[in-house]
Amino acid sequence: MKKTSQPVVTTTKSGLAVSQEAAAVYKARNKAKLGAEIKRHAGVYLLAIIPVAYYIVFKYVPIWNAQIAFKDFMARQGVLGSAWVGLANFKEFFNSFYFWSLIRNTVMYSVGKLLLSLPLSIILAIAIYECTRPILRKIVQTLAYLPHFLSWVIMYGILLALLAPGDGVVNDVIKAIRGTNVGFDFLTSTKAFPWVVLFSDAWKEMGWSAIIFIAALMGIDGSLFEAAMVEGANSWQRVWYITLPAIRPVIVTVLILKLGTILDAGFNQIFMLYSAPVYSVADIIDTWVYRSGLLEFKFGLATAVGLFKGVFGMLLVFLSNFISKKVSETGIF
Amino acid sequence: MAEAVAKAKKQKAPRNLKPESMNKKVKLTAADHVFNICVNIFMILTLIVIFIPLWSTFALSFRSNTYLHSQFRGMFEVWTWVPDAYKALLGNAGFIDAFISSFMILIGGVVCALILTIPMAYVLSVHTLPGRKWINILIMIPYVFNVGMIPAYLLVKGIGLIGHIPAVFLPGAISTYNCIIMKQFFEGIPNDLKESARIDGCNEIQILFKIMLPLSKAIIMTVGLFYAVSFWNDFFHAMLYLSGTPVKIFGWNMIDSNYPLPILLRNILMASGMNEYVEVNAFGNAPVQAIKAASVFMSAIPMIIAYPFIQKYFTKGTLAGAVKG
Repeated sequence: MKKTSQPVVTTTKSGLAVSQEAAAVYKARNKAKLGAEIKRHAGVYLLAIIPVAYYIVFKYVPIWNAQIAFKDFMARQGVLGSAWVGLANFKEFFNSFYFWSLIRNTVMYSVGKLLLSLPLSIILAIAIYECTRPILRKIVQTLAYLPHFLSWVIMYGILLALLAPGDGVVNDVIKAIRGTNVGFDFLTSTKAFPWVVLFSDAWKEMGWSAIIFIAALMGIDGSLFEAAMVEGANSWQRVWYITLPAIRPVIVTVLILKLGTILDAGFNQIFMLYSAPVYSVADIIDTWVYRSGLLEFKFGLATAVGLFKGVFGMLLVFLSNFISKKVSETGIF
Repeated sequence: MAEAVAKAKKQKAPRNLKPESMNKKVKLTAADHVFNICVNIFMILTLIVIFIPLWSTFALSFRSNTYLHSQFRGMFEVWTWVPDAYKALLGNAGFIDAFISSFMILIGGVVCALILTIPMAYVLSVHTLPGRKWINILIMIPYVFNVGMIPAYLLVKGIGLIGHIPAVFLPGAISTYNCIIMKQFFEGIPNDLKESARIDGCNEIQILFKIMLPLSKAIIMTVGLFYAVSFWNDFFHAMLYLSGTPVKIFGWNMIDSNYPLPILLRNILMASGMNEYVEVNAFGNAPVQAIKAASVFMSAIPMIIAYPFIQKYFTKGTLAGAVKG
């Protein structure tokens, strides 16, 4: 509607009165149209009432509550009643000894997971794509996607059965090889814990992350392979010169979009697996927020850290989305 | 991405996933043979790596009290397995209560989620709607700006939901991501259908129920299943908001504790030392590790039963969304 009103104003520039009159007419007509449009969509607005109310209560009230990051929150005085303290909570966080270790652990885990599972899922996708045995392919596909649907509580149970120092299967093998009776406790060793986190995540999510690459692979034009075969390229060369370049845009997109969530290192996983002996290498921003906020009742400080992560995460999402749109013309919004 | 998916759909099932022309008989060189062998070895390795942890847990859950060899041997000696641990769990009232509580969260959650998500997605898919942009902004702001768990906790506390089962599913009852997936599906339904319904005198609500919903069974199933998985697996909200109090209906104790399965499972798994006997030995005479492993499988069973249905949908329904991971 705006588009149609513009040329009228510009073409009647010679007579100002006329143009104003025309503009007024158009405005009135637009208003009437808008009114009619709103009336026509009354039912849609009716449908929107409950979800919008839900969003305001469950998504916007928390944002309003986040003001306690700038307050000395006292449960008795409530969110509004507590006294303002400015940036004191943020200063306490930035100056504390755990600040850098939290950032380091968070980034280490999310980058490590990406470095480990991205190549693995690409290789798995290519193997599934190239596999000439339909039954093997079907079984691998079914089994590889399954762990994504298991919760981290269940995963913890599986890891216990595997890694328990007393009678886990892995320790049975270690004991047999070394000929000792002492098992190794993977989950309480600061050296082994990060690897357990990285590999258990790769085990759980490898198949699921391969789906997007399989979809991209199935879109490759078959004539490319035919031409390459005529030219005498073998399977390795076809993978290297056709398959990988063909899915490069998807790889780049996945990589960039993951960048946007770099501060989400997997709360559920780490929360289930970690324990006091490995806090120094296991603590990520989210687990720390949980412990200091809900177990030690430092609500203001914990909210400040959560808010810091939220703002930083939002900037990263916008940045990664911007880069993604530039590079491969796809983004999340 | 959408093109890739469309192309993938068109293809029939060939011997491998490559375009059909690739399956013509061609002379394979030595390098090709090596390649095929490597692919198959990688596939079999993947199979083993994924299978062993699942199998070892499964084997452990059937361990008997009298079996003295290592767990590694137990994985192969299937004839020594006994279902003691499962009997103990099924005979335990606490475990049954946790199952009921989990199902209450699952059903309440999925019903609420669909009641909220379907209208929201439909509203966003009506492109002629004045103010649609503002509703879009309204849902996108919380999606990209996450203030963390403490403000959300204060909200639930403020409403007075703490200790009640809706506290577990209400805060996560709309996933903006699922909403966007559903909206994209609605947008794909031809506008002509809606127009002709309008000419026949349908209002917008009738269009949703008579035109859109019957055509979107697949996406509703998909999104519903994704919600179901997330509510069934959720232990964080339950841990935050529930305290194991009884659930009462008209004064009658329906279940003695509202802790859902993941919380009970976590307590069982985390139990060690003295606690181990208090928490786990209540379950009878099966070995402690067997009880732990059996409870892992019992909580996974609904997921494993639902999995084939989910698999049918996620490969076609939400491929475009898999980018987000």
